[in-house]
Amino acid sequence: MRIFENLNFDFLGKRKTFYMVSALLFLIGVLGIIVRGFHFGIDFQGGTEIVLQFEKPVSVAEMRGYVENIGLGNVELKTFGGETGILVRTELQQVPKAIYPQVLDNIEKEINKTYPGLPYQIVDSSATSVTFSFPNPDTTNALVDKLFESGFQTGKISEEPDNRQMVARVGIADWIKINLRDKMQDNPFQVLREEQVGPKIGKELKQDAVVAVLMSLLVILIYLGFRFKFIFAVGAVVALFHDVLITIGLYAALYDILPINLEIDLTVVAAFLTLVGYSINDTVIVFDRVRENLKIHKTKPLLEIMNMSINKTMSRTILTGGTTLITVFILLMLGGDVLRAFAFTLFFGIIIGTYSSIFVASALVLEYAQRSKKKFTF
Amino acid sequence: MKEFRFRLILILGAIALSLYLLWPTFQDYRNSKHTSEILSEKEKQIKEANPKISKDNLKDLLNIVEDSIKLADPSILENRQQRVKLGLDLQGGMRVVLEVNTAKLLEKIAKNPDDTFKKVLNDATAESNLSDESVVDIFGRIMNQRDIRISRYFGRITQDDDEILDKLKQDAEDAVARAMEIIRNRVDQYGVSEPSIQRQGTRRIIVELPGVAKEEEAKQLLQGTALLEFRLVKEPEFAYSVMERIDNVLAGKTLEDTTASDTTTAETASADTTLAENDTTQQQLSEEEFKKQHPFFAVVGLNTESGSADGYVLDKNKENVQRMLNRPDVQNAIPNNIEFLFSAKSFTTQDGQSFFTLYMVNKEPELTGGVITDAIATIDQMSSNWIVSMEMNGEGATQWARITGANVDKRIAIILDGVVFSAPVVRNKITGGRSQIEGMAGASEAKLLEIVLKAGALPAPVDIIEERTVGPSLGQDSINSGFMSALLGYIFVGAFMIFWYRKSGSIAALSLTFSVLFILGILAGFKATLTLPGIAGIILTIGMAVDANVLIFERIREELATGKTMKAAIDSGFAKAYSAIIDSNITTFFTGLILYQFGTGPIQGFALTLMIGIVASLFSALVIVRVMANMLVAKGVKLTIG
Repeated sequence: MRIFENLNFDFLGKRKTFYMVSALLFLIGVLGIIVRGFHFGIDFQGGTEIVLQFEKPVSVAEMRGYVENIGLGNVELKTFGGETGILVRTELQQVPKAIYPQVLDNIEKEINKTYPGLPYQIVDSSATSVTFSFPNPDTTNALVDKLFESGFQTGKISEEPDNRQMVARVGIADWIKINLRDKMQDNPFQVLREEQVGPKIGKELKQDAVVAVLMSLLVILIYLGFRFKFIFAVGAVVALFHDVLITIGLYAALYDILPINLEIDLTVVAAFLTLVGYSINDTVIVFDRVRENLKIHKTKPLLEIMNMSINKTMSRTILTGGTTLITVFILLMLGGDVLRAFAFTLFFGIIIGTYSSIFVASALVLEYAQRSKKKFTF
Repeated sequence: MKEFRFRLILILGAIALSLYLLWPTFQDYRNSKHTSEILSEKEKQIKEANPKISKDNLKDLLNIVEDSIKLADPSILENRQQRVKLGLDLQGGMRVVLEVNTAKLLEKIAKNPDDTFKKVLNDATAESNLSDESVVDIFGRIMNQRDIRISRYFGRITQDDDEILDKLKQDAEDAVARAMEIIRNRVDQYGVSEPSIQRQGTRRIIVELPGVAKEEEAKQLLQGTALLEFRLVKEPEFAYSVMERIDNVLAGKTLEDTTASDTTTAETASADTTLAENDTTQQQLSEEEFKKQHPFFAVVGLNTESGSADGYVLDKNKENVQRMLNRPDVQNAIPNNIEFLFSAKSFTTQDGQSFFTLYMVNKEPELTGGVITDAIATIDQMSSNWIVSMEMNGEGATQWARITGANVDKRIAIILDGVVFSAPVVRNKITGGRSQIEGMAGASEAKLLEIVLKAGALPAPVDIIEERTVGPSLGQDSINSGFMSALLGYIFVGAFMIFWYRKSGSIAALSLTFSVLFILGILAGFKATLTLPGIAGIILTIGMAVDANVLIFERIREELATGKTMKAAIDSGFAKAYSAIIDSNITTFFTGLILYQFGTGPIQGFALTLMIGIVASLFSALVIVRVMANMLVAKGVKLTIG
């Protein structure tokens, strides 16, 4: 089988048309970002997320009714992987002040239930935990165990034999679980996944992600600068910017429109970096051909050489793009909930990356050469 | 064929090495399948015999069965250790990032934490949540602004603020080391396989516990509190007699005669003689027979010259010995008031074997660590050896004087959460609460003991700031769908290559198999972890790996079009495609490297497979495909390229 064997298409002569296409895609992306903004996943935003697997099918609407009234404000609910899985998420990392007494009351009720009339004191309370003091070490130990069994996160304040203090954690996830366990007694669940990310970590990760993407662009700029001419490196990196920005714009624009969870999380950042790696692959292969042809045809104009190189590498570009798209598509279909956004990013990224290596990277080098009346020799 | 010999050997070597590295993974897969079959069979049997059995009891029984399977075949454990490790997202487990709560620590060590102090501390905590400055610095600044001297709460009156603040910062860092040690100690005992506890930056600890099903239970491990105890080590004669009894029980001998003579004097005499006897019989019996007759002493070695009855247990036998000791009949043979405890760290002998020490100690502690006020590792001026000095408060000092006075020349074990860290001999009665512990092998051992001693008195309050738990069933689903996607991807891409490039395509499809094999082999060889994004990386590599082949084949076609022979076309096709392949792959490799630097856990797994995938697929395309193509042409096979 062969395709494009004797392809001879004036790609770069039509570059103005493709500038328009790029500009349009860009505009959609920028508008998407401005109007709809980014939706960060829990990795970057911080918050609490639990995925529960029930024994029998549950409805999101019913569950919503249960968690709406437990004082956590805006709680997000989604199905996860089927009818029996539910994802509960809130932006909160700590139990809000307004319901703190309610949570505390719940713990105290449990203490009273276990040992009615037991005198105790609250010796310390912070945003995430309460410390109780009891009359003697044995009841303390027993209470720590009993409350733990009922789903509370309890612990001894010290392991000394005369310890009389118990610390009970006040966490969002614990609070949600306790409430649901209470209301769904005939349909028990197990925890598939539980994540809690503090705001500081999210902030650091965002910085790291941006630094990582910029770093990779810089490294590519330097390496290609050495291997080709500097302007080739600039063209390649601008093309990469183009790919990342358009894909990220698409992301913002398509959020909630497609039945895929398009939130920006760590795996999506990984997908972006992979996209950078893949897209540069394409660009380098076209440039490599240009470099080779420049050596052979010293007198031909650059436009012609570039067109020739693009035409000659076109079958390879389509084939490799095709096989990679096949695997990414399979991943998109079968990879499960966790990898869906990752595969989606790559799917669009590869298409845009292939496009940009022809119409952005090469075109930019050509524009520069024509304006500066420069001739490249390798 | 001669010209290919070297490359053929290289290729076959690479394939053989990959298979060798992957063998334990395959074995482990078979073992776990086998074990789960036996277990489900057993579960059925137990349920039939006793339909009303409680869930917990059933689990206990099954655990015993599982243990005995593992005990019978040590290769199961070895294979497990050498298989391709699965990340938390695939096998389930939890990852927790802990941060030492400096504010709580300051409150704990402050001399008189009054309301003013608490107010300043609260303000400092609130501010630290918004900035990167440390709580201690902010605390110092606010105190300064409000004209309060820090020596009011910390340090001595003669010290200036900066000096005290430096000390406090040191305390905060110490707390991280303490928390790590406490947590490591607990996690080890909880029996999590392959835990990872790392320090990140100055205040954070990352704990990864693979395969932990009960995340709530695991969370309890991750608290900064620990119990430090001082307990008496039993005298050698007594310890030896108990060990002998255990040995007899395990060997299936009746033990009426030994239990009957439970008086210490008789015991001492008989123990000495048996000790000697044992030495001679040991020489006479073959190793196999000795193992049969003395199952306990076969795995617990004694050093008769040291004058102690500490047992020495090989690293790999530790779990076995613990299981032996937990057996109900063995427990019956051990007096109620004593127990066996292992040392926290193993030591390595000159021939490279590492041993844990098994101590026999009293169950009741003489004293607990709450009385310790300070501990510090220093170099002794006189002997220039490392020592640890320990100070106790008044109440502790009185008791300590009584305890040491009554036990001169005996040993007292320093135990943190049930593991022995040191068992020094009491030289004389220690009054005044200041003790020195000598005999440290080096700075690290001394420093560890300092941390341990402090851990008993001072909790290291930690907060969970990030927590991720993946249940085992979600992990299994991920493995299945990942495997399915990889297989489908491989079939599609392979079929496509064969369809497009005919015979040459078949070579490429075959080399794709080798690429995947190499990736997995290298992962196993590097002891790297396979994560779900890692599987995605492999799948992506399958798609991208053919790129080099496509480039080469397209080139060969072009060369053929200029009228070259197949052999010449192959050579120049490879030569011309070379620069494009190298340049494009190196840039991708760089992005993989950066990704590895940036990422954590799963993302690093992805970056790693991406990088390994590039290397593996380059080797396949540039070496394997080329050799195969050349060989086919040399043999006169008509190579088609579509």
